[in-house]
Amino acid sequence: MKRELVTIFIVVFILVGLPVGVFLYQRQQSNPDSAERAIHIQAAVPESGGFQPAAIQVNAGETVTLRFSSVDVTHGIAIGPSLGIDLGHVDPGHVKEVTVTFDKAGTYTFYCNTWCSPDHWRMRGIVEVTDPNNPDAIPTAYRDPIIERLVAEGVNIDANVNMGMADHPQGDTLTFEQPPSIEKGQILAATLSIPVELEDAEWRLSHTPMEGLELLTDQNPSTPMNDLIHVIAYLWVLDTPSEDIQWAENYYNKNCAACHGQTGDGNGPAADQTAESPVAFGDAAYMFGMRSDVLYAKIRRGGMGTDMPNFGTLLTPEETLKLVGYLWQLAWQSRAG
Amino acid sequence: MNRFQQLVRWTYPRWVILMGIILAIGVMTFPIPQITDPQTRYITLDARQFEFAPHRIHINKGDRVIINFTASDVVHGFYLDGYGIQARVEPGVTKQIEFSAERTGKFRYRCSVSCGSLHPFMIGELVVGPNEPFWRAIALVIIGLFTLLTYRFLTKGTSYEYPTLGASPA
Repeated sequence: MKRELVTIFIVVFILVGLPVGVFLYQRQQSNPDSAERAIHIQAAVPESGGFQPAAIQVNAGETVTLRFSSVDVTHGIAIGPSLGIDLGHVDPGHVKEVTVTFDKAGTYTFYCNTWCSPDHWRMRGIVEVTDPNNPDAIPTAYRDPIIERLVAEGVNIDANVNMGMADHPQGDTLTFEQPPSIEKGQILAATLSIPVELEDAEWRLSHTPMEGLELLTDQNPSTPMNDLIHVIAYLWVLDTPSEDIQWAENYYNKNCAACHGQTGDGNGPAADQTAESPVAFGDAAYMFGMRSDVLYAKIRRGGMGTDMPNFGTLLTPEETLKLVGYLWQLAWQSRAG
Repeated sequence: MNRFQQLVRWTYPRWVILMGIILAIGVMTFPIPQITDPQTRYITLDARQFEFAPHRIHINKGDRVIINFTASDVVHGFYLDGYGIQARVEPGVTKQIEFSAERTGKFRYRCSVSCGSLHPFMIGELVVGPNEPFWRAIALVIIGLFTLLTYRFLTKGTSYEYPTLGASPA
């Protein structure tokens, strides 16, 4: 009789104790007593649901711990804009976490930055940060001066055309016998007379290298065309310091290289899956007809119907400009390689 | 028949075996020269769900191996048994793996980052030749067979008393 009682006690202990123990462990993990909230986000490829949950509500000033895990393949987790959080790879079976304090009301995006499936670029989730004092406030839309200027100018951002190439008399005959070299350009720039416009970063932002070359040719008619191309190559990377280039290279390799290719050859492993073939930034001839502000707008808005995702919700305008700077670097580098 | 003749007669078919043993010892100790000079091998290895391309790589001992490792769909890994080389590659970014093939044999390389349902079966083979023990084993088998057959041929016709089991013949 006594043995029977002991057995019953053990069975009941296991049946009740185990769920209670698990429950308590989870409670302790999520730490409900502290001010910090822990949110567990499960990452899966978009075909099987993407992020779960894909939207999180947080009060401004609240500190939350975001825990990411993966159920299928390796994902990369980053949160933007302006937070600068990159957790790196999250392998299946591993957990990466970050503790963030969202100070300002607004919308932040957590996204996968490692190619994980054909629909990888859809893999995003949002953190909605509301101001507890004014929960119904609608955040004011960010007005992007660069894009607004393009719209005012009447430039079609989505058009995949070469600007400036057509109306330039030498557009078709421009050949790159030598790859554009930034180093040579720097040396040559000191010996040539540079037009005032070309000295102006704002002007370079909204004009193509081809237009710049035209002005430079007018000022230095006796200099060989190849030398002038070197100078243009140098001028177009002038505004991006090397630490920004390094940041942009890292960002490009994680987020862009899968389609546009690591060297900008437009032939990354996922290039054949996109609706339109990715642009080759390594093609100097193409880039000579491209404008920095248009590249900027394309990155921020994405390309409708081309499978180019928008990065405007992931990057700050400054970060986008760094990325544009790296694209120019790629354009001149790849010619050499 | 004197003692010497008896010895010769007893030895006659057995010298084949003696020869075989001497040959076998020769094969086991014979230094096999390097068949090819060491060279640098550039290998492009692509990983996709759930295979490596190429899934078999042949190189020679002493070769310097430079693998340009790429991934086509998701993050994959590379772990080479026997060498303990580990790498991870994400789609779009080429990873370079460099090592010297100092150990001969057949080594498996497998994906070391969980990449999906059939991940455990994502395996390839690195064959580092010349695989000396293998050739020695083949030579030994050939010598053994040859010795046995010759011995059988020489002793053919000589009577051999098979032991009988159980009761002795009447």
